[in-house]
Amino acid sequence: MLKISFIGNDGSTIEASVEDGQSVMSAAVSNGVDAIAAECGGACACGTCHCYIDEDWLDRLSPPDDFEEAMLECVSNPTPQSRLSCQVKMSAALDGLVVRLPPSQY
Amino acid sequence: MDMTAPLLADMDFQPLSTAFAQNPYPAYAALRARGEPVYFADFDIWLVTRFDDVAAIARDNAMVRSAEFFMSPEEIEEQQRAQNWHDMPHHSRFVQFSMLDSDGAVHDRLRKQVFREFTPAFIARQRGMIQDFVDRLVDGLIDRGEIDFVEDLAAHVPGHIIGRVLGVPDEDCPQLRVWSENVVRFFDIDRSDARKAAAERATTEFYQYLLKLMAARRAAPEDDMITRLMVAQDAGHLNEDELVSTCMLILMAGHGSTIDVLGSGMHALLRYPDQMQRLRQEPGVIQTAIQEMFRFESPLPFFHRYATADCRIGGRSFARGTKFGLLYGAANRDPDAFGPDADTFNIARNPNRHLAFGGGAHFCLGNHLARLDMEVIFTTLLKRMETISLAEAEPQYKTGLSVRGPRALKIAFKPA
Repeated sequence: MLKISFIGNDGSTIEASVEDGQSVMSAAVSNGVDAIAAECGGACACGTCHCYIDEDWLDRLSPPDDFEEAMLECVSNPTPQSRLSCQVKMSAALDGLVVRLPPSQY
Repeated sequence: MDMTAPLLADMDFQPLSTAFAQNPYPAYAALRARGEPVYFADFDIWLVTRFDDVAAIARDNAMVRSAEFFMSPEEIEEQQRAQNWHDMPHHSRFVQFSMLDSDGAVHDRLRKQVFREFTPAFIARQRGMIQDFVDRLVDGLIDRGEIDFVEDLAAHVPGHIIGRVLGVPDEDCPQLRVWSENVVRFFDIDRSDARKAAAERATTEFYQYLLKLMAARRAAPEDDMITRLMVAQDAGHLNEDELVSTCMLILMAGHGSTIDVLGSGMHALLRYPDQMQRLRQEPGVIQTAIQEMFRFESPLPFFHRYATADCRIGGRSFARGTKFGLLYGAANRDPDAFGPDADTFNIARNPNRHLAFGGGAHFCLGNHLARLDMEVIFTTLLKRMETISLAEAEPQYKTGLSVRGPRALKIAFKPA
């Protein structure tokens, strides 16, 4: 099992255990991270699984494809660390990933 | 077909009946209790009702809307004939083809041209326009004391708003509603030739209207969706037929459904006066309340998918080509997903991961616009009407599996 730390906008933290290959979004939803709405269920179709990848980890992720990039243009409260968590798949290289949550998905 | 398939023979499943229309939820509960998809012979379709199964199928890219994967052009034409959808030159170009009934690369390309218009941030720009329109509507009826909430108020809003979002001038918006209704009516089971002619005529007229609008925008571009779609067309991202079809879909998809959920949402508040009271006292809970309205009475309770590969759902194997009927209305009342109070209307339910907007690549594009329409209407009504009550014993709901909403909703009210 791999680990992700979800840090809320209020500073609270949820530590999640995830399977290799599971998306960060799916880990959030199964671990009670309500700040990830994930309305479309992971199809890159709604933009409500938006998160910020901690700077130390950002470069270790595969870059977004053009569909995710297009969707990222339109998320609320974007930053250079923004990613759609449904498009980030966990692997051993990302064990211990730190993810911050936006103030709102809307 | 697997002869051990659970059939509906021992269940009195009558989805076209008035009893089902008045309350489909006991039938949905009985279907969920089977624990696996159930074959519905009338439509040659496997009904899926448990939340986990419906969500899994909706979100699976291997489950598609279009039958093209399985049917030759001849078979598709034969099916068209059987549905009385043939010999409709404009309807087949602009309604029978659409982003909704495409999958994979074609679908993704079309969705990419319009999704920016429907993000929460972009839709939020429309709030002032929606508020102005609703204020004017309410001004016109606030002294009546009693109205049909559906016909006198709700029915006027979505068509106008979506028209303005497209870029249609104010004065032309009422005509959009007529065209939309004539086309949508022909999706129903009653495929009469009269309705067929009306649907083809409506499609043709909308097409001709759009061509005129596009010519006007070509001469004088504006900050609207039509202009931006034309820019995308010029850049080669979609052709003219796809542009027209996309505009038609945007007009129709959220039109009747938003009217329906406005009606059923108001009805829910009236049936649960403690929730109405809570909403009055805590206006900040409106967004959660709107989500609960969508969960509680999902306006589009039935969508299909075809399996492009063999699969297992609910412990049963299904072959490639199987047609599934996703009953979102049933999934949204599943206690396994929403707890033992799944059949209770609770405006503070949060999180509320319902399936009223579907899931996966076809997840409802217009959901934020629908939610904003609802928010403005309910907030305005609660502010301007000191009391609201139901003025009829039992509102009649529309029949069938594909839509859910009251035909009319008589309410009595006192201005604030």
